[in-house]
Amino acid sequence: MKKKVNLVLRHVFLLLLVVIWLVPILWLFVTSFSGYKGINTSHFFPDTWTLDNYAQLFFRSDSIVQYNRWFMNTLVIAIFTCIISTILVLMVSYTMSKLRFPGRKQLMSFSIILNMFPGVLSMIAVYFTLKTFGLTNSHIGMIIVYSAGAGLGYLICKGFMDTISVSLSEAARLEGASEAKIFWRIIIPLSKPIIVYTVINAFLLPWGDFVFAKLMLNSGVATDWTVAIGLFNMLGKSMINKYFSVFCAGGVIISIPISILFVIMQKFYVEGITGGSVKG
Amino acid sequence: MKKALNAIGNYFKNIGIAFAKGDIWVKLSAIVMGAGYFARKQIINGIIMLLVEVLFVVMCIGYAAPNLAKFGTLGTVQFEQVFDPLTMTSTVNDYDNSFLILLNSIISLFLILVFILFWIANMKAVYRLQQKKENGEHINNFREDVRSMFNEKFHITLLTLPAIGVILMNILPILVLVAVAFTNYDQQHMPPNALFTWVGWNNFKNLFTNSVTVTFGYSFKKVLVWTLEWAVLATFTTYIGGILLAKFINDKKTKLPKMWRTLFIVAIAVPQFVTLLLVRNFFADNGIVNTFCSSIGLTDFLKSVGLVSSNLTYIPFLTNPGWAKVMIVLINIWVGVPYQMLVATGVLMNIPEDQIESARIDGANPFQIFVKITMPYMLFVTGPSLITDFVKNINNFNVIYLLTQDVYVTSDQLLANSNAKEIDLLVTWLFRLTNEYYNYKMASVIGIIVFIICAAFTLITFTRTIKGDKEEEFQ
Repeated sequence: MKKKVNLVLRHVFLLLLVVIWLVPILWLFVTSFSGYKGINTSHFFPDTWTLDNYAQLFFRSDSIVQYNRWFMNTLVIAIFTCIISTILVLMVSYTMSKLRFPGRKQLMSFSIILNMFPGVLSMIAVYFTLKTFGLTNSHIGMIIVYSAGAGLGYLICKGFMDTISVSLSEAARLEGASEAKIFWRIIIPLSKPIIVYTVINAFLLPWGDFVFAKLMLNSGVATDWTVAIGLFNMLGKSMINKYFSVFCAGGVIISIPISILFVIMQKFYVEGITGGSVKG
Repeated sequence: MKKALNAIGNYFKNIGIAFAKGDIWVKLSAIVMGAGYFARKQIINGIIMLLVEVLFVVMCIGYAAPNLAKFGTLGTVQFEQVFDPLTMTSTVNDYDNSFLILLNSIISLFLILVFILFWIANMKAVYRLQQKKENGEHINNFREDVRSMFNEKFHITLLTLPAIGVILMNILPILVLVAVAFTNYDQQHMPPNALFTWVGWNNFKNLFTNSVTVTFGYSFKKVLVWTLEWAVLATFTTYIGGILLAKFINDKKTKLPKMWRTLFIVAIAVPQFVTLLLVRNFFADNGIVNTFCSSIGLTDFLKSVGLVSSNLTYIPFLTNPGWAKVMIVLINIWVGVPYQMLVATGVLMNIPEDQIESARIDGANPFQIFVKITMPYMLFVTGPSLITDFVKNINNFNVIYLLTQDVYVTSDQLLANSNAKEIDLLVTWLFRLTNEYYNYKMASVIGIIVFIICAAFTLITFTRTIKGDKEEEFQ
């Protein structure tokens, strides 16, 4: 009997935790259908239900809401960032994992220290450098910001490549394959899981980034923005009472693809972290 | 250390040998790069080297020299605009832009350094060629040289592009940041309309002084203390919380562990800026939580206890320094625990089952098992990432900024004078200084300080990850 009570208590406790964790998400979801545009401060659920907030997002663009443009902007930036970053990361991780050359360890140590330098700190200089070349408020500028330094984030991918048996590449080498061929034909096909991880990770960056976008896209023209900046802007003091429900609708829309990708990625995330550190 | 010194010593010794023992072509290469290649019939290599040298000279004359000449003063000609009423146009004089001078000078210095290294490498390569010729070894033709870029020199081919990216995005900005910390670049000295110049260690002194006009010393101390408190609290609460949650869900007695895990993941899969901005309004002064609290009488209860001052009709979740700090840590638990739960789940699955089993047979209770077996194992495996998390939390911009921007107003005049708030981390303070107040000089100084703090903690991790790296073991 005591065991049964314990079992029930255990699940009630878990349920309580889940409720705490999901209440804000639920609030986001229900408010996005609210007929009242501002924040409903008296009831959790909206007083009137409507789909108008979504309609406003997609079909009634104004100087504040340019959701389709934001979505396209972010998508373009994300796709290019994802391609460039993945290539850079793969190049560095293969070099560090499979090739042996003088200065390799020193280079690795240096890159780890450099990677610890938070991007937020040097962004003033990045901003002015890009401004000199006229690249602020542009897609190209954002893509450079997100992908140029990607080569430093190679550790998890390298950890994975370390586990690929060296005998495969040895055999290929004996048959006269060049290092470049080994890279393309053997290592890349075997690294599929970690490539998926790297691709999704790089793709998600522009959707979630706030700091750099806020700094680089400062023209005040809504059509230039990414989703993050656009949604943040809706919650400004003068805006919040007219746009809060619209913000929630925008949040729901963006969360759907991101959540799916995130759930796919989390499997690799766990493998990457633990796989890397077990060896360390 | 001695090894490094030896390596540097050898590096220079080799150039000396190249000079002393090289023939006339090698010596000529010091002035006309590529000469040594022409002599060994490597015509294309020679042309490339010569081209690099010509490009470098052009770069020096056209770009580096004019900028470096003004590097000492960062420009002297003030921006002037003259409006001509007759033609209705305004003419701008040939003014100096201090920031461009600074940026271009740093790039120039960097290029010169790269060229010197390139020149040294060239000298050595040319001397090697001479030796090869004397010993009758095979000398590569151009095609073979290109092929070697995909074989024994493949690492150079692969690393060139990433290295250029890292230099542009990471190294050059850091150098510029360090330089700006020694100038008076702020709102009164904004190029192109005004010049700025070197001021030595003044900004660093300002950061530690406390006077009527300069309150940076006071703010810095407060912000630094809170940053460290925050980093410790945020790291440990989410770490412990994540492990406990993972243990709880993975316990054999829990039904449907996968479903519970997925529910928690849903909460963090929504982009952080959405959830954080939402939660901020959830806990607003006139927000829904406050409505709820006052209707069940919690607000009045807290007033009577003294946790909420009596002239308020709401709980100042995110507007009172004490409340805001507690709330930020709690909300961060909400954001961070599911992540840690994911990581901990992965690690816990690998925990050697036999140890726990034998401990149980010996009569250890679950608590003892957790403290004596599970925790040490977790710490061993996730130790390095714990320090990484700590450094990340020092720079946890999102949580603080998104929760408090536009909402939190400081009432401490001394903090306000230096544009800081009680709940600011060093990074959010830095961000506000640049983004709202254009105080680049102080922001750069704070940036350097943060870097030193992070680097100190990183060195601890780094010795472990590099030295203890058993990367060959699995190959």
